[in-house]
Amino acid sequence: MGDKADVWQGTLSLMVLRTLQVLGPLHGYGLARRIEQTSGDLLQLNYGTLYPALLKLEQEGFIRSHWGVSENNRRAKYYELTKAGQRQVKKAAADWEQTTAILARFLTPAEEA
Amino acid sequence: MRKLRALTMRLIGMTRTGQHDADFAAELESHLAFHIEDGIHAGLTPEEARRQALIRLGGVEQTRQTYSERASLPWLESVVRDMRYAMRGFRRNPVFTVTVIATLALGIGATTAVFSVVDRILFRSLPYAHDDRIVSIGLVQSLERQEFMLGGFFYEWRDNQKPFEAFASQGTMLHACDLVESNPAQLNCMQAQAGFLPLLGISPVLGRNFLPEEDLPNGPRVALISYGLWLDHYNRDAGILNRQIDVDGSPARVIGVLPRGFELPTLQAPDVMLPMALNEGLERKALPGTPMRVFARLSPGVSIAQAKAEMEPLFLHSQASIPEQIRKDFHLSIRSLRDRETKDVQLTAWILLGSVLAVMLITCANVASLMMARGETRERELAVRSAVGASRGRLIRQTLTEAALLSLAGAAAGMALAEGLLRVFLAIAPTGIPFLARAGLDLRVALFSVLLSMLCGAIFGLLPALQAPCAVALAARAAKSRKRTVLRRTLVAGQIAISMVLLTGAALLLRSFENIEEQSLGIETQGVLTARIALPGFRYDTGQKKMEFYLQVEAALRRLPGIRAVSVSDSVPPGGWNSGRRYSDLAVEGKPDPAQGTGGSVVSREVTPDYFRALNIPIIRGRSFTEENRGAGAHLVVLSRLMAARMFPGEDPTGKRVRTGHDGPWETVVGVAEDVKNNGLTEQDEPELYSLRRSAVEDWGPPAPVMIIDAALPPKTVAPWVRSQIAGLDPTVPVEIETLAHGVSKLADRPRFETALLGFFAFCGLLMAVIGLYGVIAFLAAQRTQEIGVRMALGATRLDILRLIGGEGVRLIVLGGAVGLGVALATAQLLTSLLYNVGLHDPAMYAAATFLLVLVALAATLIPARAAMKTDPMAALRTE
Repeated sequence: MGDKADVWQGTLSLMVLRTLQVLGPLHGYGLARRIEQTSGDLLQLNYGTLYPALLKLEQEGFIRSHWGVSENNRRAKYYELTKAGQRQVKKAAADWEQTTAILARFLTPAEEA
Repeated sequence: MRKLRALTMRLIGMTRTGQHDADFAAELESHLAFHIEDGIHAGLTPEEARRQALIRLGGVEQTRQTYSERASLPWLESVVRDMRYAMRGFRRNPVFTVTVIATLALGIGATTAVFSVVDRILFRSLPYAHDDRIVSIGLVQSLERQEFMLGGFFYEWRDNQKPFEAFASQGTMLHACDLVESNPAQLNCMQAQAGFLPLLGISPVLGRNFLPEEDLPNGPRVALISYGLWLDHYNRDAGILNRQIDVDGSPARVIGVLPRGFELPTLQAPDVMLPMALNEGLERKALPGTPMRVFARLSPGVSIAQAKAEMEPLFLHSQASIPEQIRKDFHLSIRSLRDRETKDVQLTAWILLGSVLAVMLITCANVASLMMARGETRERELAVRSAVGASRGRLIRQTLTEAALLSLAGAAAGMALAEGLLRVFLAIAPTGIPFLARAGLDLRVALFSVLLSMLCGAIFGLLPALQAPCAVALAARAAKSRKRTVLRRTLVAGQIAISMVLLTGAALLLRSFENIEEQSLGIETQGVLTARIALPGFRYDTGQKKMEFYLQVEAALRRLPGIRAVSVSDSVPPGGWNSGRRYSDLAVEGKPDPAQGTGGSVVSREVTPDYFRALNIPIIRGRSFTEENRGAGAHLVVLSRLMAARMFPGEDPTGKRVRTGHDGPWETVVGVAEDVKNNGLTEQDEPELYSLRRSAVEDWGPPAPVMIIDAALPPKTVAPWVRSQIAGLDPTVPVEIETLAHGVSKLADRPRFETALLGFFAFCGLLMAVIGLYGVIAFLAAQRTQEIGVRMALGATRLDILRLIGGEGVRLIVLGGAVGLGVALATAQLLTSLLYNVGLHDPAMYAAATFLLVLVALAATLIPARAAMKTDPMAALRTE
């Protein structure tokens, strides 16, 4: 795994956690669609990378999964946030805000600097 | 924390991959179903929707792959796979596996055991602070080779010396002392100055060291007790401090407990330490003054040579006050503490270490050779694996896994062997080897030897793997392995050379040991017992009391049945302590005194008349002492043949008078006794002077007498009688009874130990070298099967084939043997001081070692060569 994938995976996990926090339990496909919608369809996920990311979060104990039935009667695996996941969202969000704030300072127009 | 949790989950994941896969397949299916449904809703055909969904997923197989990699630990799985594969390989080839493991076990076990023993002697720091700066300082002379000091010199040296930052003394020897209380015990006591323990950096675990005011003649009586005494005698009583104990009838207050396992720098462990309490004023004036052992701590940056140069003037000044006749015999000596403690075993230790390293080298060469052979036979397999896609890294990892597994198995077996060997060492070791009793397996060394052997295995095992991925190997097993065969041959020749060195060393030691065992001692040990009685000095405080006690013992023993002779002496030949004198201190009436400092030392013994009968020493001239002589006042002596020849060359000494010292009484020579071995088993005999021990108090001063009993009955029967007779006179005195034969055999413990060990290593080395040789020849023969077939088809006789294959082995034996012989001859002088009556280049022993090596090595060559000889040419040609 190269650096790019790591960064990408880092942000992807935050998106997953945050989406689950807002919307409650979701299955993989729904989660992916939801992330795309939230991004205003600017992001196009490769769905194949979503599942290893979910597995990693589950191994780390931030989410848990169980099999359930969807509204249109299809069997699907549902993911939901754990308590540790709740805390992780807060922490990761704060980290992210700090990172973007720092980056923003570099990117503001030159005359203000 | 989270990482650890994830790792655990993945580890668990490893054990149920099947379940995971099924679960994920279901999830993917449901994912695709959702996606397709959405596509159909958006107006796509079902086929198009499915295509789109698969594209967005990025391939089902890839997804599955990344998922399952995340679900478990793929690298660990491959290690497990490698291990399983390796185990399967080992099972298929048990001879190889067992040989490698046994070789490794032998090498690792022997190295670890020996190193654990010599580590303390040669390398490990001594248990004192700044141990590298502590020295033993004092005088040495021909009769005392360990540094000693006299009260008359001590204070002057201490006050005027510059090179040392601490300078203090202990007593010369442990002495028996009695703890008198409701639970009495006989203990070992030692005196030391107040500054002595601080010099060593030793502080009591409880309480404190002596104070300067306690180290004065009439200071408060205090004592330090050993940890062992505190533990065993006082049950770790926390209130031991300030307790009054009674040592030898005078009270002392316990002020501290010494650390557990504390030993003096003289390697003695006292039970009780008392202040030396010397009277400085008297000592300064006295000559010689109280004898003592001085230790000092060098100031930082001062070397022993510098210190010696700086102390020389003080020594010369002191030397001037030694009586002129013996002055020249005294020298200044300063030695490091390590040399003081272990000098006389350092050589043995180095030789053991050297030979065990040689064994380790042979081990490594053997493992390397075996791994290479295995690598070569597997060349095709490796080529196939690399052709079907195994990366070079995979192949290397596979080889390393095998090397690691073999090393671990070898290490485990080696540790067990080391433990056993160490026990054997302890059982057969002589008493004089310091620290041995407390030697334990050294894990650092074990680890080192395991790593070393693993390295050997890995490096040589890797050679084929590194070169493997070439297509040629698939087709042919051609000449390119020749380079490695050369390497293997070199290894085998090296092994043979090293075992040659070990074998000759062992042969020389064995010969020397034989000489020691078989030499004539000049005394009869059969049926002779010695009994040493530790009379407590404070109860038997006068010569009169001692003499009476021993005379009673003598009389009591004579009454026992089957006793042929009972004698009282102060020492027993052939070795151990005896009362030495300088030859130049002896004077003959009517002759000029011998020149000072000449003639070396002589043995003198104070014996009762039965001595010569008890030990069956023939009187060759004149007569022995008689019982009547004991009561009379006359001073009588018997000379040994050597002594008589030295003092009275060409004359009859009987009736002549000699004296010892310049103020001693004249003593009349009554006879000459045959020489006996009297200076240890391996040293040159010394002239000997026997003085009659009369029944007069002046003849019963120190040292403590020893009883010599010659019995017609077996010692097992007599010993308890002797014990009970002595107990009947005083039940509290400890008695040590030993057969003289055992005492003599103890003197040979050291050479026996050295011979046994070196012999064992030589045997191991030879065994492994032979295995290596056999391996190489067998391999070469197998490799040339086809060639042999062709040769035979073209008319080569079986003898030609034998010559072809056997010649290879003979070349290796000759080469290795010659090199080994050269090295052995060159290094033999290292053994000089261990050998007795054997020439360093004793041709018989070298011939014997060579013969043994060649014989065994030839056998190892002939077995595979004979097998090659019986090759059926048709079958050989049919093998590819």
